[in-house]
Amino acid sequence: MAEIVLGIGGIGATNTMGSSLKTYALGSCIAVVILDPQTRTVGMVHVALPDSSIKPEKVATLPGYFVDTGIPALFEQMRRCGTKGPKGLIVKLAGGAQIMDQNNTFNIGKRNALAAKKILWGFGLAPVAEDLGDNFSRTVTLAADSGIMTLSSPGRPNWHI
Amino acid sequence: MACFQFCYAAATASTIYPRCPDMEKKTLDKEVLAAVQRIPLLSLAAARILELTARADHTLTDVMDVARNDAALTARLLKIVNSPVYGLLEPATSLERAISYLGENLVVSLVLEDTIGSYMNKPLQGYGSASGDLWKHDLRTAIAAKEVALLNRDRCPPDVAFTGGLLHDIGKSILSEFLKERYQEILAELARKEVKDYVGGERELIGIDHARVGYELARNWGLPEVMQMVIRYHHEPSLAPEDLKTVVYAVHLGDIIAMMGGYGTGTDNLFYRLDQRYTDYLVVGPDQMGMLMLSVEEKFNETVETMQMH
Repeated sequence: MAEIVLGIGGIGATNTMGSSLKTYALGSCIAVVILDPQTRTVGMVHVALPDSSIKPEKVATLPGYFVDTGIPALFEQMRRCGTKGPKGLIVKLAGGAQIMDQNNTFNIGKRNALAAKKILWGFGLAPVAEDLGDNFSRTVTLAADSGIMTLSSPGRPNWHI
Repeated sequence: MACFQFCYAAATASTIYPRCPDMEKKTLDKEVLAAVQRIPLLSLAAARILELTARADHTLTDVMDVARNDAALTARLLKIVNSPVYGLLEPATSLERAISYLGENLVVSLVLEDTIGSYMNKPLQGYGSASGDLWKHDLRTAIAAKEVALLNRDRCPPDVAFTGGLLHDIGKSILSEFLKERYQEILAELARKEVKDYVGGERELIGIDHARVGYELARNWGLPEVMQMVIRYHHEPSLAPEDLKTVVYAVHLGDIIAMMGGYGTGTDNLFYRLDQRYTDYLVVGPDQMGMLMLSVEEKFNETVETMQMH
């Protein structure tokens, strides 16, 4: 069974039965997961920062690092697997953790989540499920066969969204 | 009858309160400190390099002078600088050339990996983390602390912040043995809001936290005071001596940047508090955080690639 591991900024899409996409230890980063029930394609991008304007030259080598370039690049990869368009796609989000801070000083997790929702909204999509925020990191596994999204974190039993 | 009543009362008390948490904590506290005493001392080269790099006014030549007396370190540095990563047209044969290419931070990282790598690289059962996770977290913290210091160069020596970042969590490697599977109890206490953060949970469970354990080890090793204070107060920087607060806050922020980037050490996750008073000592605006994280990510990947080339 092929497991495609995505690092920070990694983008993956597959419709091969038995394969899965996985990304480890999302801190303030977010995994944007897209499922296409028509072509049975699953896709995931591990985005780290909300906006590529912070370092535009990085987009050429790692578009998945930023929310604003990572999500369109994920659509592009899914199109190569046969996905037609945003209509009918299922979106899920996970990650966006933050340090304990009542003032939300370094709220990159929250900004990533808001930016992702805004970009998705531009494609006419909204997440059907999300597991965002809190103070723990998340590892996400996405099975191509079932589309089941499994989350894990050190010291906790696995859960699904 | 009086005696019977006394014994009966004692038996009842022990049944109702099968263990006395405070007494157990005190015992564990002593056991942890005894374990610290059993850790071997640092090598001479490592102790001297740490002493040197803790001084804000040291130079690369000082580092070379120490490395020159350590044949194994010299050989390793030459091997790394001549690896394909550096793509030198002519192989470097002198230590001076090797160190000037590699830079001080990499030399310090290699020295520490050689001497205390067995503590840094082992899996932390008490934190539910795998082999190498602590070392990666430390390296990421070191790079981030240095980046923070570089934004505040006039008041915070970047190389001191780097070395402090490498060492800040050394106490976890010892405390882990005492936490074992009991991290679930800390997570439960955090969920019930009985403790304010993970270090509070460690203190509640064991009677001592990883920062204090690391400090005791640093004292035992005779590390410079600034390193001792960084290790002891990286989660409570406001308690550090006033003249060292800037560098302690830099490591405090570096630690948080590492955790936000997904490089934590396991079950403690991001269950630590940001001390807002960092703004009294360092300038790091919320808007600069994104750029910092990006820069740390790139430098971390470069360093890991280089260090694995041996």
